[in-house]
Amino acid sequence: MKNDSVYYLKDITAPETPEPGENPSPWTNTTIIGKRLPRVDAYERTSGSALYPSDLLLPNMVYGAVLRCPHPHARVKRVNTRPAEGIKGVLTIITGTTPEADVWWRNEDGYRSKLFDPHCHYEGEAVAAVAALDPYTAQDAVKVIQVEYEVLPYIIDEERALDSDAPRVHPKGNLVDTESYERGDVDQGFAQADVVRERPFHTRCEIHTPMELHGCVAEWKGDTLTLHESTQGVYAVQAKVAEALRLPLSRVRVSGRYMGGGFGSKLKAGKYTVISAILARKTARPVKLVLTREETYLAVGNRPSSHMTLKAGVKKDGTLTALQFTCTGTGGAYPAGGVALVDWLIRDLYTCPSVKTECRDVFINAGPARPFRAPGHPQGSWALEQMMDELAEALHMDPVDLRLKNIPTVSQGRTGQPAYTSTGLKECIESGAQSFGWKAARQRNKSSNTGTLRRGVGMGGCVWFVGGGGPPSTIIVKLFKDGSVNLNMGASDIGTGTKTIMAMVVAEELGVKLKNIQIENADTGTTQYATPSGGSKTVPTESPAVRNAAIHIKQKLMEMAAEELDCDFEDLEFEGDEIIVSSRKEQRIKITDIPKLKKQGVIVGVGYRGPNPENKSVNPFGAQFCEVEVNTRTGEVRILRFLGAHDSGRVMNRLTYDNQVFGGITMGIGFALTEFRVLDTGQTGKMVNRNWHDYKLPTALDVPADMKSLPIELDDPEANNTGAKGLGEPVTIPTAAAIANAIYDATGIRITETPAFVPHLITRLNDLAKEG
Amino acid sequence: MLPHFSYIRPETGSEAMSQLSDPESFVLAGGTDLLGCLRERIFPVRKLVSINGLAQFHGITETEDGGVRIGALTTITEVETHPLIQNRFPGLARGASEVASPQLRNQGTIGGNLCQKPRCWYYRGEFDCLRKGGSQCFAAEGQNQFHCIFGGDGICFIVHPSDTAPPLIALNASAVIAGPKGKKRQVPLEKFHVLPADDLHKETVLNPDEMVTEILIPPPPPRTRSTYRKVRARRAWDFSLAGVALAVHIEDNKVVNSRVVLSGAAPVPWRSKAVEDVIQDRELNSKTIADAAQAVVEGAEPLEHNQYKLPLFQGVMEEELLALTNQA
Repeated sequence: MKNDSVYYLKDITAPETPEPGENPSPWTNTTIIGKRLPRVDAYERTSGSALYPSDLLLPNMVYGAVLRCPHPHARVKRVNTRPAEGIKGVLTIITGTTPEADVWWRNEDGYRSKLFDPHCHYEGEAVAAVAALDPYTAQDAVKVIQVEYEVLPYIIDEERALDSDAPRVHPKGNLVDTESYERGDVDQGFAQADVVRERPFHTRCEIHTPMELHGCVAEWKGDTLTLHESTQGVYAVQAKVAEALRLPLSRVRVSGRYMGGGFGSKLKAGKYTVISAILARKTARPVKLVLTREETYLAVGNRPSSHMTLKAGVKKDGTLTALQFTCTGTGGAYPAGGVALVDWLIRDLYTCPSVKTECRDVFINAGPARPFRAPGHPQGSWALEQMMDELAEALHMDPVDLRLKNIPTVSQGRTGQPAYTSTGLKECIESGAQSFGWKAARQRNKSSNTGTLRRGVGMGGCVWFVGGGGPPSTIIVKLFKDGSVNLNMGASDIGTGTKTIMAMVVAEELGVKLKNIQIENADTGTTQYATPSGGSKTVPTESPAVRNAAIHIKQKLMEMAAEELDCDFEDLEFEGDEIIVSSRKEQRIKITDIPKLKKQGVIVGVGYRGPNPENKSVNPFGAQFCEVEVNTRTGEVRILRFLGAHDSGRVMNRLTYDNQVFGGITMGIGFALTEFRVLDTGQTGKMVNRNWHDYKLPTALDVPADMKSLPIELDDPEANNTGAKGLGEPVTIPTAAAIANAIYDATGIRITETPAFVPHLITRLNDLAKEG
Repeated sequence: MLPHFSYIRPETGSEAMSQLSDPESFVLAGGTDLLGCLRERIFPVRKLVSINGLAQFHGITETEDGGVRIGALTTITEVETHPLIQNRFPGLARGASEVASPQLRNQGTIGGNLCQKPRCWYYRGEFDCLRKGGSQCFAAEGQNQFHCIFGGDGICFIVHPSDTAPPLIALNASAVIAGPKGKKRQVPLEKFHVLPADDLHKETVLNPDEMVTEILIPPPPPRTRSTYRKVRARRAWDFSLAGVALAVHIEDNKVVNSRVVLSGAAPVPWRSKAVEDVIQDRELNSKTIADAAQAVVEGAEPLEHNQYKLPLFQGVMEEELLALTNQA
């Protein structure tokens, strides 16, 4: 018989339904979760019908543009807007003296500034803004506003920021903070070591370059502001804007159902958000304000540069005895985590009894940092994983074996050293090495590396600081009387496939077809509170709550069925699209036939994210392996292949999982080989490579066709009820270091400064040749 | 965003030429470079004269003497893939294939590629640089890692961005230039580009009322091999850090004649006579190649951040000459 009901796939067994108040046990077998399924919104995204904030066109909408300070440090003395006022199509201009724009902007650590602060601490600080009938007029108008600046002395070199004669970014001086950590006794550790090595490392500042630019559309209806923002977290934007404009949260609605990437740079509102709201209020029309690519290079975040020194001691058998690490970094002109988490891998990744780290965060006159995919980790990995290889070489050990010798089971860097709920670090390294053919490749390259094209292999391991997710999260799932479903969640899908995975969780529990699930998400007006999608926590945070909401529906269905069939809840089970009485199998009822469901039209299930396990740490792990070819005549590096072995708990969707692995490796390749901010040191202090040509993202040809994703799927019932851990960030942590190690394996040259590109390599190769 | 300009699409060559008499008029062909310059307002533009309606400036044909004529409007992709170019002038086909990205090669033209404006980030950025009429070359003391090692003459340190000009010059090609009132002149491409010392404010010999209509490549002497090799910071959509175009005529294992032109080296495609002299009448053995590698950076004047270009050009030269001998 043809099953024409919307509800229930054939041949799917819904997981057992726990009684109310009981926690669901982890799935043992799954029918949908883990499959390689295309995104539920793939058609919309690829056909162009998905409406991103940048695409939005509202009736009567006008366009905003921001005038930005062209100097790294300056004081605005006078702004003459008259030339812009005369341009046809210009509707309003706001500056620091416009009453409606006299708004405080709170930076971190109590550093307050005005929305249009007369004291501009970095190139790209907002000075004025315009609304006009079209975006081109708005940009033209901004260009003719005359600003008289008092140009101030600036500092853009973080290594000189603490010199006594360095210009001060803020009156208190250029030191933001020094963070220290210590366990054990490093002096004793180095004394016990058979081999001690020390080396400086340097990584350059990397810029977020999401496909969709930063921006929003602001619209007032009466006293209520609606913002359509390209964001990772609608509730975070709501909070920031409400604070700046002194509005109750209820009067700021933020929606961001689609967004074109953020990588951490869209975790909160920008000044542009508030500016667009003010422009919209002044013009009484919706205002779209999307930054130009050049503006995003200056003003909406970056991965801080770092100057690191790492000293390491190891015994002959490969046991680490001590690690000592220092770092100077900068989050730019405001406190922005300039050294945040740079030392985490040194503290936590490999077993080591004695560790000492000291990280200094300093101010410079450059655009503030924002969290960038695994903040701090790729930088620390650049130092640690290269140092591990150096130790292995000194010990005549295989780099893989040295790492396997030092696998921790507890999170050493945390207070109380809690155990991990699961750690796949060992399996990632072992299975990764095996699948990659590590030993054979090393042997092969050793014997064949005589010509000018030298091959080498390199690897690195990783842990991500968080990645277990946690409360709060509230999810509402509605089951309609025909069996189709509405999933309501506050979280943004930042391109990782969140919506697809959550729909799969619903499908897994309720057996409903993916195409019959409608998703309502990322809107403070219609969906529940969610923290921003970042920190690789969206799946482990939201999926358990989604599962709970779906289970809640099943419980309600069974309660209804129990009433109808006049039996106990415990005696019921799901079978296909029916609920049956276990003890009397002939007694059954089709879900869509339950009278109460038919009558009330919908069942609402609510799911909450429960707490994480106490005294345990939930973290994803990984290891990456690569093979490179270096042309020793020219210094060109070609990446031949890559393998990412990642333990992120349960694989929720193999297709989006692999996408994350390949995307993270691609981004790591950019960090390693091509990307760096260039400031005009010693002259204007301005950024010179603020476009997609001069700031070089890796292209398809820079990324190897041979990329492999090897999930190390470990059960983690303690982590949460889906057993998933985060993935988006660990996948970019060890990439750059693995490449540097492979370059060393190929050439004997250790590239300690990013990027490992032709100018650096050819210089070193030439020096090496001269030394003979 | 863009300045206000008038747009004209003439239907005849003579109409196009008369439109160009306005000093702030610019020829629009593929537009891949010009539109960026307009957006950045690098120079004043009052009028764009699109030549895309002029079919006579398009296409690749064989000339009677066995050479090739390439219309200025021919796309880079067409140059890259045309059998005549691939068979007879592989160095040029290679040069074309190294330009930018597939999309830009489909849109960009050979004429436009020769007439590109500099890619110096100071010239393209918010810097009032010497070439734009300002008082200072910022690259001289600034971030000059991608700048020239020859021909800057202490004035301006751009590198010429073309990947097709070096192989064309190696192949002894010339440009046919149309001027006002039906005037025509032919200029060897080697003399087409202008060094800062000769005129800081122009990159080619074109007068404002002139345009390139076609490129002529003479028939290659027998046993001439042409190649082009480009090293860059990433593998697509990037300009040359160091490149070498060779056209080498070898008889009885000896170099009878050669033309060696560098990209990424100078404000113009840089003919390396030093290398040509060193390999003249010699067998391309390891000694000759080592001497050539020395010669290629002879007289170079690197800046603070581009010293790496010396070993890089040496390495590329060595690799390319060696590749020639391996082909033999």
